[in-house]
Amino acid sequence: MADKETTVYIVDLGESMADCHNGRDESDLDYAMRYVWDKISTTVAASRKTWTVGVVGLNTEETDNAQDRQGLEGYENISVLQDIGPMTMSSLRDLRSLIQPSHSYGGDAISAIVVALSMIEGFTKKLKYKRRIILVTNGESPIDDESSEDVANRLNDSNIELVVIGVDFDDPDYGFKEEDKSKAKAENERILRNLVEQCSNGVFGTMAQAVEELAIPRIKPVRPFKAYDGALTLGDPSKYPSALSIHVERYFKTKRAMPPPASTVVVNTEPGAPSQSQTINDEDTEMGGTGFSGVKQMRTYRVNDPDAPGGRRDVEFEDLAKGYQYGRTVVPFSESDLSITKLETKKGFTILGFVPFSSYQPFINMGETGIIVAQKLNEEAELALSALIHALHELESYAVTRYVQKDGAQPQILLLKPNPALEDEFECLYDVPLPFAEDVRSYQFPPLDKVFTVTGSVIKEHRLLPSKNLEQAMSDFVDAMDLSGFDENEDGKPVEYAAIDEMYNPTIHRINQAIRARAVDPEAPIGPPAEILLRFSKPPEKIINKAKSEIEALIEAAEIKKVPAKTQGRRGRKEPAKPLSGLDIDALLGETKRTTTISADNAVPEFKQMLATASDDATVESAAKQMGEIVRKLIRDSFADLFYARAAENLRAMREELIGLEVPGLYNTFLKRLKKSLLSGELNGDRREMWFKYVVGGRLGLITQDESEVSEVTADQAREFVTGSS
Amino acid sequence: MAWGGDEDRRPEDEGEEELDEADYKTQKDAVLFAIDVSESMLEQPSTTHSKKADKDSPIAAALKCAYQFMQQRIIAQPKDMMGILLFGTEKSKFRDETGGRSGTGYPHCYLFTDLDVPAAEDVKTLKSLVEEGEDPDEVLVPAKEPASMANMLFCANQIFTTNAANFGSRRLFIITDNDNPHGNDKTAKSSAAVRAKDLYDLGVVIELFPISQGGKKFDVSKFYDDIIYRDPAAEAGSPDELKTSKAGDGLTLLNSLISNINSKQTPKRAYFSNLHFELAPNLTISIKGYMPLHRQQPARTCYVWLGGEQPQLAQSETIKVDSETRTVDKSEVKKAYKFGGEYIHFKPEEAASLKNLGSKGLRLIGFKPRSMLPSWASVKKSIFIFPSEEHYVGSTRVFSALWQKLLASDRVGIAWFIARENANPIMVAMIPSRTPDEEMSETPYLPAGLWLYPLPFADDLRDVELSAPPRSADELTDKMREIVQNLQLPRAMYNPLKYPNPSLQWHYKVLQAMALDEDVPEALDDATIPKYKQIDKRVGGYLSEWKEALAEKARSLMKSRAMKREAEDDDEEDGGRPAAKRAKPVAKAAGGPMSNAQLKTAFEKDTLKKMTVAQLKDVLTSKGVSAVGKKAELIEKVEQWIEENV
Repeated sequence: MADKETTVYIVDLGESMADCHNGRDESDLDYAMRYVWDKISTTVAASRKTWTVGVVGLNTEETDNAQDRQGLEGYENISVLQDIGPMTMSSLRDLRSLIQPSHSYGGDAISAIVVALSMIEGFTKKLKYKRRIILVTNGESPIDDESSEDVANRLNDSNIELVVIGVDFDDPDYGFKEEDKSKAKAENERILRNLVEQCSNGVFGTMAQAVEELAIPRIKPVRPFKAYDGALTLGDPSKYPSALSIHVERYFKTKRAMPPPASTVVVNTEPGAPSQSQTINDEDTEMGGTGFSGVKQMRTYRVNDPDAPGGRRDVEFEDLAKGYQYGRTVVPFSESDLSITKLETKKGFTILGFVPFSSYQPFINMGETGIIVAQKLNEEAELALSALIHALHELESYAVTRYVQKDGAQPQILLLKPNPALEDEFECLYDVPLPFAEDVRSYQFPPLDKVFTVTGSVIKEHRLLPSKNLEQAMSDFVDAMDLSGFDENEDGKPVEYAAIDEMYNPTIHRINQAIRARAVDPEAPIGPPAEILLRFSKPPEKIINKAKSEIEALIEAAEIKKVPAKTQGRRGRKEPAKPLSGLDIDALLGETKRTTTISADNAVPEFKQMLATASDDATVESAAKQMGEIVRKLIRDSFADLFYARAAENLRAMREELIGLEVPGLYNTFLKRLKKSLLSGELNGDRREMWFKYVVGGRLGLITQDESEVSEVTADQAREFVTGSS
Repeated sequence: MAWGGDEDRRPEDEGEEELDEADYKTQKDAVLFAIDVSESMLEQPSTTHSKKADKDSPIAAALKCAYQFMQQRIIAQPKDMMGILLFGTEKSKFRDETGGRSGTGYPHCYLFTDLDVPAAEDVKTLKSLVEEGEDPDEVLVPAKEPASMANMLFCANQIFTTNAANFGSRRLFIITDNDNPHGNDKTAKSSAAVRAKDLYDLGVVIELFPISQGGKKFDVSKFYDDIIYRDPAAEAGSPDELKTSKAGDGLTLLNSLISNINSKQTPKRAYFSNLHFELAPNLTISIKGYMPLHRQQPARTCYVWLGGEQPQLAQSETIKVDSETRTVDKSEVKKAYKFGGEYIHFKPEEAASLKNLGSKGLRLIGFKPRSMLPSWASVKKSIFIFPSEEHYVGSTRVFSALWQKLLASDRVGIAWFIARENANPIMVAMIPSRTPDEEMSETPYLPAGLWLYPLPFADDLRDVELSAPPRSADELTDKMREIVQNLQLPRAMYNPLKYPNPSLQWHYKVLQAMALDEDVPEALDDATIPKYKQIDKRVGGYLSEWKEALAEKARSLMKSRAMKREAEDDDEEDGGRPAAKRAKPVAKAAGGPMSNAQLKTAFEKDTLKKMTVAQLKDVLTSKGVSAVGKKAELIEKVEQWIEENV
């Protein structure tokens, strides 16, 4: 639930705002509007009906405001450009055309504040609102100081925040002072500053700072969400009188923020088509020239049917039941039975036992953190939880718990970590989810600190192991690159570099900034990402310089050699593979007839072996030819897609081996012919699936020059070959 | 491409996380068990009086393993295949349906379960053989003459060629107690070696699970060294360590075999390969990434067509349509962002440049003491990395040096990480894990190496404004310590392997029963439910005492608070604040939310309706209840909350 907000922007459009000052090459208005547009477009982005915006122009040529209409004096050259209301893209566009510098300067800033104030009072009445007036001006036009105290009082009474941001206003806190400031401007600054100081809720600042801060990402605040409100138990209170139950509340502490999702759209078609003209035109106006409309997904369902052409046929969605798969067996369920595979659980949070800090590693965490506190204003719960937190802390222990968020939810294992308020201002438990047995995949890796030989003995010195020298260099390097006290705070004290609250999600803010910029100015190209977003993408320059000698020593000790791109992953003609015993299998093979013919049953091994022992080009060609025939026969004999996977596997073996032997032409020639045969139906029926799904989808296209230097096919030609229809 | 074969994949921008995992799964795995049937494999263990003694013959243990493997596979790798081939049997059976080769093609080979994604029927047949010992076809009868290994290997070759063509991972698990099946018969040995080479060239990895009985050593050099190859995918320096299964050391043969086979359960699939890890400018090594931890969920429901003889899975295809339900071609589709009720569009090249915040890779920016990692800084599972020599020779030794240093100094690396081109960058802490068999290891179930532990961004933090004032330790804390000390988990650690996921187990138990037409089980043996009886026995006494002390303390705290409140109220009245004229009798609007006791009083006196909508909403929000609705609804919600919670 969001609070309701209303903000009225007062923009100085006076003559002088069109000028450029202090060495900037943009006008004061454009400069100021960077701030205003960013603010307004953020409101548009939020898309909230309860966040409303009004805009008042100061120093406009016309005069258009309620006070003036009532005949009050001093309200000339002030125009309401937009009444308070929700902000949309179309109002943003309208506004853009209105924000132009005028040739006038007679408006009074304080009168404009009164106009804004009355707008807010009229709109928000006595309802709960966050009210704000933001004035941007260069302070060049004269201000009547007389009523400022009354205005301040009225602002305070109506609980309105006043923000005044001035172009080139002096701000000692920020460290800005305009040299040779005109007297009039200095006086206006004084008046406005004075007004803000009388407000109980006011901000007075200079534009340079405001614009600078625009680059700092703003984080969308999210209300705390209570995930659990109930008992944390030790033992079973329903069975054992001794069991303990503490009433707790659990909230999210971390929750991954996601970049705004992109929608799939199409450009609305045929604007002139008569049947659609009405709707299209409507949307066109709303969408500002280019109409997009969302794309929906439609699903169709098919089942295998040997009698149908192609072996499959469509079925109606209405004729389908729901079910689960158990291996390859499909188990249909009636709608009412579907839930019986769901474990019945009761909401609950119960402790399984305790483990020492030393037995836990953070990398077993499976997800986001929660925070647990006692139920508010429940003395017993507060004391009980506090005692648990402190006991865990003193014993350096965590609690392992079983957590069921609500009735029927899947149980989770949560690890509770004590936070006894030593540094933070409140005490609580944090929780992280842990894995279950099924979540752990058992992967074997060789040890990092020793090497086993084939005979099973252990070696401690080996090219895969660091030398003493390398160990020392690494140790010095790690010590030199320490970030713990690398940054400085405002008082010049060393503080941690790259603390979590300084790390903004670059993806989210990059996209949001670009969307806002495009909304304000659809024509402008998108700029590079803000520097602050890439701040942690590389080590700070300073530390690299500091650790220069350690880095050099490490590079020297490491003796890293880059493997030339050509030999990476290339098999080429290398040592024939041997079993552990080192037995020469090729010699055994030589005794068989394997070296001349390839049987369809055992095609891949025999093909490889024939090539491995081939001594002339004719043998290689013969092997490729035989393999090609086997592939074609498999496809020809295939009932529907039965042998497609096998054909594809043989093709893959052919492709890889011929690349290795640097005779890509053999494969490419064969594949060109195969494509024709497949698409023309020459191989006993419609074989297009073999082409698209297995050859194209399986990346078995032509061998390009990137893969084999001697190939005559470029990457573009290869792409054309797989997408083209002939 | 109309036949892209990518129906399972999600559109790229949506849910990148899922896409990564889906990509990773495209590599399918097929495992064929080849189990030796011989007199010695069938021999029952000698009966002893010890309770822990073996009850299973080697063959029974092997089949039980296969059965367990099959069940796990259905849960964890529902798309992967398995099969069981018995060899050395008196009977022979290949496939009935294939005309070409009949059973005589592979004498003494009995294809018990054909290689495929297991069906309920396969599970049932295997189950009845394993659990009830039902062997109606008398397959477990050894042949009078020994089976030809060459023959068995070629039989396996044919099974893989036809059933698991184009699979990324194919493995043959040989379980036998015979280290020398062909004695001195050179010809037989050679032809077996040739057939083994065929399997190697076909890309099938042979895993040997030797069984040793009666203290006899299984000598691989007699025969199997000619059959087995170094796994081409294995890391340099990998030990081709063979673990022989045997009874002893308090372990039954079955347990020993299960543990050996389980360690090969999942084929090792890399999440990324040859990623560049930049330790410093001009110092780059290459690494591979793995996901040893991954949350396993019950499979989603599917749609079933019941019109045929047997229930059949309906394959779905999606087509994109516009608002006029006209089919939209892929080339027409554009990506746009909703903004202020409209779409903001970027050209494809602009969209690409927006996503591009650097090329893929891992770049170190420095180190921090591990204690600087806040205990709440967790957002998602970690990725395991291990060095690879493929792009940079020397990567392993540098990685090893870093790993050792981080362990020794208790520090973590901080790095910028992009897993693949166009993936979203994240910040990670690099945390070392100890060697699993080391005494000190916190994670004996995980490999040694470095972990990329994702750090939250500032955007991921929720501001929880809660104000439980810190409390100094007191006797309640002291007493609680005794309770904590007496309730340590076994071996003082959380070992996930001891805690199967109850939802997942239940789902598949029920599903299995339904698929096999058995009775649905009544209850689940849920390891995540605490041992309540033990808790009561061990700390029941402490707890009772503690609760008494708590009640007393709470009473006095309540009292002192009430006095403080009264004093504050007096102050306010003395001050005669002007705002008082708007104050409602029940709510102290200015004084923050009402306490539960105040709410209860208001409820009982029926004065809740005198509160304003804003006040009601504040109350509801502070209780975490949705504060949407008209005033009457809000009051109802507050009342409901009070009834349930106060």
